[in-house]
Amino acid sequence: MSGDLHTIAPLLLVIGGAIAVLISDMITPQRRYAPVLVALAALGATALLILQQGGSVVTALGGAYAAGPFVAYLGLLGVAIASITLLVSPDYLAARGYPTAEFAVILLFALSGAILVAASTDLVTLFIGLELMVIPGYLLAGYAKRDPLSTEGAVKYFLLGSFSSAILLFGIVVLWGSAGTASLAGIASAFTSGTATPGVAIALALITTGVAFKVAAVPFHYWTPDAYQGSPTPITGYLSVGPKVGAFVLAIKLFLIALAPLASMWIPIVVVLAAATMTLGNLVALTQTNVKRMLAYSSIAHTGYLMVGLVAAGSGQVAGIAGMLFYAVAYAFMNLGAFAVLTAIQGQPGATTQLSDLAGLGRRHPQLALLAAVFLLSLTGIPPTAGFFAKTYVILAAVQAGGAAGMLAIIAVLNAAVAAFYYLRVIVFLFMRDPVGPPVDVATPPLLRAGLFLAAAGTIALGLTPTPLIDAVVRAVAP
Amino acid sequence: MGGLPILSLITFAPLVGALLVALLPSQRHRLIRYTALGVSLVTLALSLVMLASLLGATATSEFSFTEQVSWIGAFGITYHLGVDGLSAALVVLTTLLSAICMLASFGPITNRVKEYFVSFLILETGMIGVFLALDLFLFYIFWEIVLVPMYLIIGIWGGVDRIYATIKFVLYTLVGSLLMLVAILATAFSHQAATGSWQGAFDLLTLRGTIGDPTLQMLAFAAFALAFAIKVPMFPFHTWLPDAHVQAPTAGSVILAGVLLKLGGYGFIRFAIPLFPYGAHIFAPLMIVLSVIAIIYGALVAIVQTDLKKLIAYSSVSHMGFVTLGIFSFNQQGVDGAILQMINHGLITGGLFLLVGVGYERTHDREIAKMGGWAARAPMYAALFGFFLFASVGLPGLSGFPGEFLVLLGAFLANPAVAGASAFVMILAAVYLLWMYQRVFTGPLSSFLEGLGDHLTDITRVEILTLAPLALLIIAFGVAPTLLSSSFTASVTTLLGAAANWVAP
Repeated sequence: MSGDLHTIAPLLLVIGGAIAVLISDMITPQRRYAPVLVALAALGATALLILQQGGSVVTALGGAYAAGPFVAYLGLLGVAIASITLLVSPDYLAARGYPTAEFAVILLFALSGAILVAASTDLVTLFIGLELMVIPGYLLAGYAKRDPLSTEGAVKYFLLGSFSSAILLFGIVVLWGSAGTASLAGIASAFTSGTATPGVAIALALITTGVAFKVAAVPFHYWTPDAYQGSPTPITGYLSVGPKVGAFVLAIKLFLIALAPLASMWIPIVVVLAAATMTLGNLVALTQTNVKRMLAYSSIAHTGYLMVGLVAAGSGQVAGIAGMLFYAVAYAFMNLGAFAVLTAIQGQPGATTQLSDLAGLGRRHPQLALLAAVFLLSLTGIPPTAGFFAKTYVILAAVQAGGAAGMLAIIAVLNAAVAAFYYLRVIVFLFMRDPVGPPVDVATPPLLRAGLFLAAAGTIALGLTPTPLIDAVVRAVAP
Repeated sequence: MGGLPILSLITFAPLVGALLVALLPSQRHRLIRYTALGVSLVTLALSLVMLASLLGATATSEFSFTEQVSWIGAFGITYHLGVDGLSAALVVLTTLLSAICMLASFGPITNRVKEYFVSFLILETGMIGVFLALDLFLFYIFWEIVLVPMYLIIGIWGGVDRIYATIKFVLYTLVGSLLMLVAILATAFSHQAATGSWQGAFDLLTLRGTIGDPTLQMLAFAAFALAFAIKVPMFPFHTWLPDAHVQAPTAGSVILAGVLLKLGGYGFIRFAIPLFPYGAHIFAPLMIVLSVIAIIYGALVAIVQTDLKKLIAYSSVSHMGFVTLGIFSFNQQGVDGAILQMINHGLITGGLFLLVGVGYERTHDREIAKMGGWAARAPMYAALFGFFLFASVGLPGLSGFPGEFLVLLGAFLANPAVAGASAFVMILAAVYLLWMYQRVFTGPLSSFLEGLGDHLTDITRVEILTLAPLALLIIAFGVAPTLLSSSFTASVTTLLGAAANWVAP
């Protein structure tokens, strides 16, 4: 039992941190930064604990929770995502009169759910972790409760999210019934030896739909743009990264572990979804003039690139999972960074994020504009940035897998060229156009600066020396 | 050379210089300009030292001064640099033109001076890296790095339609290069699948001659060829070039014509053909046809241009057609001629763009119809323009001639009809260039130029200084082309050996 506690200690520490934040807020309610600092301390301690555990493979809670390099990798990524979000958000929220303590608490609970998803070995733990991860997301999307756009986005997100959870749950139940076990590995072995029944086909359809909703794959993406545009900007950054990465971990658990023997059944569907997601996400992003909404659509396109890794992995290439994990880290840094820049230019409540708001930023705030350019080039996939290696890794896996995945690789790079157009258009506004009207209010308080620095450091460091992360990824996916 | 990593020094000296310039206060324009010029001169000196010791020593292996360090061990990607006669010549062309461009930018660039020189120095690192990389992945990275500073140079310091032009430039290049990335990964993976190890999977020297799968040969060659054809640019992928040239600032045009277009030709010679000789032979007839179309079409379109820069841009399309024609003739004369043509086109067209820039500084116009009789007011300018113009026409004794002559000889050996069609174009070149010269420089002074009054000064000493090294080299290589060609004969022999060994595996 004490061994169990040691194994799940990171999870407990995150939850404990959330409670500590609540207590600290009761003791010092006037201090804006106190809850943030407590939460950051909890995250730091969690990271140290994960590193100290060293990623050895141990199971706990009767085998429902398996710690190991995979969980350690994703746990550290979750800590990084939560930390950057915590650094970027408080001043933005405080300037608009929204509390920071509740925000930090919700974020930590979501992280605990994400860790649970990564560590789960059976369907029940997986689903509980998933809900623990996404329900805080609904709360965050509606955080600006006096803003009708935020409320609208949150309601859409909540309704469609609950709907998809129900579909997914139904699929999980049918899968459980068909396989006769809830254990992910047990399901896989049941399907390896036995034959596929009609129930399996139903389960597969329901699960694919549910997961496609969660990762926001086309045509199940309709909630994304409204939820993302309505939410307060730093929260949008978090929503476009945290729950998405978590949903891909869910996909890895379901498709690449439990349903791996049925790969020939689900690969064709995911191939079509991936191609549609990349292409539609990019084409619609082309037409946006609001940068926040553009990034929402571009995050749909990135979902498509990640699905290319899923297809490659399903075709038997370990590099597929490795590519997805690498991509997740690169995407987290560059996308959170891009949203942090948007947060900075919304120094005043009510400030918009139109392309024209960025005009002339390169002249008035050269450092912020330079960081923005780094994030955008990384999102485009230009070396030497993290985004380049992420795309390359996923495409390499797809090329290795060959066949349909090879075709996806070509679709992916052509899409990257389309995406270059709208990302570079932002750079046009940053550096090549003069501002119209009064300059926007840029606010870069110290915490936001720290968040921007972290995101940029990750984006650039992974571009210059990707080897340490590649090694970590290879360890994380080693069987 | 001892243990000094001379190639890394040459490659990264401009990058270090860029960081240095970035740290200078942005109001100190003079300091920034002279620092950037100093850095580019140091880089030029380093590259000349490298060239001298390369030519001085008897080469013991194909590539000299090689450096190889493991970079991304999991996939066998290495930081592998090396130089032979071909890349040495192109590196020196790059460092020379970069230094000239720094000097030529002193006057015209007055806005965001620091950012300009930082971009230019990063661009120089990217270009040098492309010519020195022997690892496919490293090559690709340098290839892409070139894109960003050029995007900024055209987009920030360019003309009225600069944003359209620069986005077109980037998107064209990106489509080609991204497909090339897929081909690089597929090639590397085929090596991994065949040997069971990623060791050397991205290494040019390891991969050469080992790719046996004919489908991969064809597809990968097609992807590489698309990337390089867009860069050269070959017909019908040339449409970005006139826009980019017209909108780019003078130095941007010079580098674009002088070096960036050569990246494409170099890519064919160094990577596409040696790696995929079978694919190259399958596609050679198509490449030759496209080359001939580019030669004729570029010249015909140049005749009707009304803008000086656009005229020279289309003449580039025509001249670069000779490069690809020579390469795909697959014989010593053709390839030798193609390389000569690449370097001489860089010198001559670089000079012509500088001269157009000199004129533009005074008139703020490039409309041919508005000019006339310029020689009367600026005799020195007119004389220099005439010199570069005759070099471009291919006057024997100047360096434009030997390249085109050898290409035509090579093409004749491969296919006399092709050579005949292309030779005819040398007359067209004389038509569009001399007719332009006549309209701009001779006759009575046009009212537009008259109206400029005292602004219409003759060329200054600094401007002559930017042109003098080019003019001297044009004469030297015109009189004694073997000065140049002797440095890369060995590389061409290797290439032809690889290309000859193309029998379907």
